[in-house]
Amino acid sequence: MWSEKNSLALSRLAVLLFTAAVAVCDVCGWWLVNWFLRTSRYAGINDAAHLVWGLVTLYVASAAAYVLLWNLYRLLANIEDEQVFVPANVHCLRAASWCCMAVALLCLGGAVFYLPMVMVAAAAAFMGLIVRIIKNVFQRAIGMKAELDLTI
Amino acid sequence: MPIIINLDVVMARRKIGAGELAEKVGITPANLSILKNNKAKAVRFSTLAALCRALDCQPADLLEYVPGGDDEKEDGE
Repeated sequence: MWSEKNSLALSRLAVLLFTAAVAVCDVCGWWLVNWFLRTSRYAGINDAAHLVWGLVTLYVASAAAYVLLWNLYRLLANIEDEQVFVPANVHCLRAASWCCMAVALLCLGGAVFYLPMVMVAAAAAFMGLIVRIIKNVFQRAIGMKAELDLTI
Repeated sequence: MPIIINLDVVMARRKIGAGELAEKVGITPANLSILKNNKAKAVRFSTLAALCRALDCQPADLLEYVPGGDDEKEDGE
């Protein structure tokens, strides 16, 4: 039977799977970037500059992804411990939002080499915005909870 | 907070302890302590009614308005 506990477990599993996927991309980074530059019809000349750009984008973005996934994992662990509207979760969401924005900026810079990266940048920025708004909601909820806790 | 709860005074008059009062009112001793120390942000009518019943008093015996303090800040919010 589906329950909140199962939902949390599924979310944690998804975070772990994403982490594993990022790790696999990191290990296979060199081959992935080379394959992309060889096969993508939008890529420019398959030269050292593009290769470096691709590798830098991949590894910097994966660092941001690890930070984001770690914060999501902590957030889920706190929720499982019945610590929902607490400042620690606001920190996690703020960090996640900044990771998305960092990736968006990185992809925007990468648009110099590969224009469709603008779309990835837009998607990352939009996701960062959504997470930021959720962070604002959590912050407000913490204030409301504090008031409710002091309502006898 | 401009509303003061004079719980100590009324408890002393009725000679009732905090634990006993908390049990009669149906709140935890910790929550009663929050009320006594004027740390509460709000009081439910049901709690106020239970306090008045337990202490055999009127709400006016328990609540006192002291102008000034956080009044202006709350009006501006």
